[in-house]
Amino acid sequence: MKESGGDEAPVYTSMVPSGLMLFAARILLIVALGSGLGLGWNAFSGRGLALTGNVFVKAGDELVEAAAAKARLGKGALFVDARPLDFYDMSHVPGALSLPEDQFDVAFARLEPQLRASLDVIVYCAGFGCEASHIVSRKLKERGVPAAILHEGWPAWQDAGYPTREGKLP
Amino acid sequence: MNRGRRFWIELVLGLVVGGVFVYASLDKIAKPPDFARILYHYQVIGPSATIPPLVPNLVAVILPWVELLIGLGLIVGVLRRESAAIAAVLLVVFVAAVGSALYRGIDIENCGCFAVTGEGRKAGLKLVLSDLGLLAASLVLLRPRPLTSTGRAA
Repeated sequence: MKESGGDEAPVYTSMVPSGLMLFAARILLIVALGSGLGLGWNAFSGRGLALTGNVFVKAGDELVEAAAAKARLGKGALFVDARPLDFYDMSHVPGALSLPEDQFDVAFARLEPQLRASLDVIVYCAGFGCEASHIVSRKLKERGVPAAILHEGWPAWQDAGYPTREGKLP
Repeated sequence: MNRGRRFWIELVLGLVVGGVFVYASLDKIAKPPDFARILYHYQVIGPSATIPPLVPNLVAVILPWVELLIGLGLIVGVLRRESAAIAAVLLVVFVAAVGSALYRGIDIENCGCFAVTGEGRKAGLKLVLSDLGLLAASLVLLRPRPLTSTGRAA
């Protein structure tokens, strides 16, 4: 019976340094090819996106920075909170109405008179990664209520130290 | 392991994992902006106060094509180990992204795995489990092929 030692083990390709380099080089090749195809497709297929733009923002969206929104609140702007109701109850912009994106139709029917009576409507949601304010603003526009979007949403308002209100009442 | 058996295992796993990756890439390739929107929802790679939209946008544009290439590689058997290595890394990243969204309580209705518009698959625990299954299969495919065997004593 032969002795079983280290050199008895099968030699694997990846244990050879040059093999490992080749392996890594081929991985890079796949990623580079994918990058080239992706960037080319994005540029020439007509289905692409603007690489430096924010895809939540579409043509016609009016974005308002927190400071400007605060000034407009002082002039009687009506704020619309597009986050789920629980978040509204925890804290919201004073005077804001709760119009959660996932319950738009029900909430809109209830709030329609107030929304139509307002000359300046600003929608906000939970900031980065939150698309609800954009969607609600477009739905309002479709129904003839022009509505701006608070850029970077609730976190921007809160971080600026602007007034907030807790509870169910506006 | 018996070489013939290994061949069949690699063939079947390659078809399964490769098929999933090819299928996963198609709708994202068709609609880059919609895939980008889903990446934004994760709030992992931006955009944020510090990360410009360019970062998630590049991922949205490039990732589906890498998925397509490695999927084809796994199915056809060209650069299969390299494709399996990329698949394994991607699956670890996917599990981390979904796990982090779950941990932070971010509700992601459409995980962006397959269809990027309308009703998608929810980013939840089930998804983590199926990703882990695919990861295990990728690791099997990643194993190096024995070049020479000195042959153990029988």
